[in-house]
Amino acid sequence: MPHKFEAGTPNIAGSVGLGAAIDYLKGIDIAAMQAYEDELLAYGTKALSAVPGIRLIGTASKKASILSFVMEDVHPHDIGTILDQEGVAIRTGHHCTQPLMERLCVPATARASLALYNTKEEIDALVGALARVREIFA
Amino acid sequence: MDLRDLYQEVILDHNKRPRNFRVPDPVNRKAEGYNPLCGDKITVFLYVEGDTIKDLAFQGTGCAISKASASMMTDELKGKTVREADAFFEKFHTMLTAPATSEVEMDALGKLAVLSGVREYPMRVKCASLAWHTMKAAMKAEHEVVSTE
Repeated sequence: MPHKFEAGTPNIAGSVGLGAAIDYLKGIDIAAMQAYEDELLAYGTKALSAVPGIRLIGTASKKASILSFVMEDVHPHDIGTILDQEGVAIRTGHHCTQPLMERLCVPATARASLALYNTKEEIDALVGALARVREIFA
Repeated sequence: MDLRDLYQEVILDHNKRPRNFRVPDPVNRKAEGYNPLCGDKITVFLYVEGDTIKDLAFQGTGCAISKASASMMTDELKGKTVREADAFFEKFHTMLTAPATSEVEMDALGKLAVLSGVREYPMRVKCASLAWHTMKAAMKAEHEVVSTE
């Protein structure tokens, strides 16, 4: 007990992956990582705010380094497909938060997640790819 | 593959100015379609008289592909008989689900052939087919909810 009630195949790869991630993070200066992610977030917030037609969703002062956004007249899934072709990977959709999406009156959002392995150049690439979205949907 | 093959002008135009984007009056068939994976929601309305689709319209939210597909479907099927609509559905569905490399009969699809670029993007095939499955459900029952899952 309680393992006998665990039906199906457990997420073994996920557990092993989590362990490896914890080991990896133990070897990193967490404060420095946080400072770096804050810096990326500030840079990304400024860069995306400057793109015409983009509206950031969620701008709390102490939020994690993720950028959720919507673009005027373009559905997030179309943004996602075009960005993917431009070599930029983001997540799109309702992120399993349908009640929140309803509350915010948006069908879905596009979301770029920034972490210690991302760079400011990659944020520039994101902004460049968003210009391509605008160009196609002009 | 070039993005312009997916986002062709016709598709962008139907996305921007969807045809038959309304609730028709009268209506005697209706179904809701839902793609839980991406949150697309669509309602297809039909007015069938005898064996003919007299009116066909839709409402809902979705990406450019799903909206354009729904819009073009209403244009294409209005005035057709239920049987003709069924036959067209089969042709369209066969085209969408055929491997991207295979040759498919495009001539019979008319304008709808512009959606063939979707085959290069397996994630987006359901966007293009949602309205069509919903239309099929509406034909069968007066009120029905369909899901692509």
